[in-house]
Amino acid sequence: MPFSYYARLTRAQQAIYRKSDEVGEVRLPRPALLQPAVTALAAALATENRGQVQRATERLVGGLTEALGVPAVQVEVLAARPHAKWGELHGLYTVERGRPPRIQLWMRTAKQRRVVAFRTYLRTLLHEVGHHLDYALLRLRDSYHTEGFYRRESSLFHQLVAEPRGPGLTVDAWFRRPADERLARLASTPGRVAHALEGRSPRALARRPAATAWAPVEIVCHLRDVDETFGERVAAILAMDEPALPRVGPADRWAAERQYLRHDAALALAHFRRRRGESLEALVSASPADWQRGGEHPVRGRLSIDMLVALMAWHDDNHLDQLTRALEGRP
Amino acid sequence: MPTMDEYAKQPREARLQRLTRTAEQLAAAIAGQGDATLSRRPDAKNWAAKEIVCHLRDVEESFGGRFEQILAMDTDPRLGAANADRLAEERQYLRNDTAEALTAFRRRRQETLEFFGKLTSGQWDKGGIHPVRGRITLDGFLTLMAWHDDNHLDQLARALQGRA
Repeated sequence: MPFSYYARLTRAQQAIYRKSDEVGEVRLPRPALLQPAVTALAAALATENRGQVQRATERLVGGLTEALGVPAVQVEVLAARPHAKWGELHGLYTVERGRPPRIQLWMRTAKQRRVVAFRTYLRTLLHEVGHHLDYALLRLRDSYHTEGFYRRESSLFHQLVAEPRGPGLTVDAWFRRPADERLARLASTPGRVAHALEGRSPRALARRPAATAWAPVEIVCHLRDVDETFGERVAAILAMDEPALPRVGPADRWAAERQYLRHDAALALAHFRRRRGESLEALVSASPADWQRGGEHPVRGRLSIDMLVALMAWHDDNHLDQLTRALEGRP
Repeated sequence: MPTMDEYAKQPREARLQRLTRTAEQLAAAIAGQGDATLSRRPDAKNWAAKEIVCHLRDVEESFGGRFEQILAMDTDPRLGAANADRLAEERQYLRNDTAEALTAFRRRRQETLEFFGKLTSGQWDKGGIHPVRGRITLDGFLTLMAWHDDNHLDQLARALQGRA
């Protein structure tokens, strides 16, 4: 199912679109060889020094074009992203007659002027490299944002960044992390979900990677509904002395009964964001002593608010990982 | 349509019978209705027929959670407040398929009836603190559910006629 703008393209453009959509992967011959360049880029961003980021980006882009046997592309790293009513410009790929192709990347956010997170920066870089590869590798006459294009971008990303299989940290490991770090983790999730969903069609979001594995929209609905329960549990623990915490779901039953596959993912995300904001507000307002209050879960036993926050951080990790896989068609 | 007080005076068995009939009454009300009719709100604020069915489905689950909490605790739990309009919006009731929602309600209701069927006489008097209604025993919840079913069946009939 092409994106809606497909209908406005000419027949020749539609043919290019379809070709682009058919290719879901760009396979690097030996991705391990690029690992030092990827690590150097992460380190350069951490210095917040534009010169170092420029050099590290050139090195990685040079490595990519060389590995894929395509002509080089110029790279220019700039400071704060340009912005207007339409949002912020993250990167730009331009081809002008008589000039070498060029990638421009902005390393700081528009308003706060903070250095962009490594993964976001790398995603943007690979997005722009993806446009270059459309012309230079796939020999397309134009470069469109198709589902195939986004899948190619993701395929490059995952060859360069080793993703942990399953959750990044265990619940116990999260429990040992400082409260602020766990809260920051919870606060970042709606944004990370939004980033993952960006540009995806409703059809792609409703596609299950396997008969028993959730589609992206189902994962977003699940996060939304679990946050509702999370808020209720925190409220119950704060209102009562060691209350019983009723079991909920099970999650697959919710997905079926509440008909997640029929939901609009963007709307579900907006509601998840609101629920998460309310949960965070309650947690920040609670005192350290309140965090030690708890309730009795029928399966997990006693759960303090402190432990619930660790559980939620682990739960977010787990489902973000699942979301990434689902968007790539992997269960 | 009996009031809550009138229902409270009815024998428990009569109130349980009331609960057993609801799924069939809902099925009869929506039979032959197209999705457009089922999705039409009588006005901007009042629910469409399918939203009422989804509400009954989700409230049934919520009742189940409250009952479990009441039985599990030695003291009366403080029961959380539900915001039905918010759930209708968040859970995107208008995008649901009504027949599927009814099937899910039927299953949840069956579980509720099985739960009630297993209660001992002492357990019927256990209760919780409702944020609006104060203390309610499980017997009181049975009354509330009978009245709640009537109320929403009536609302459903009106919605299908385009009346608020």
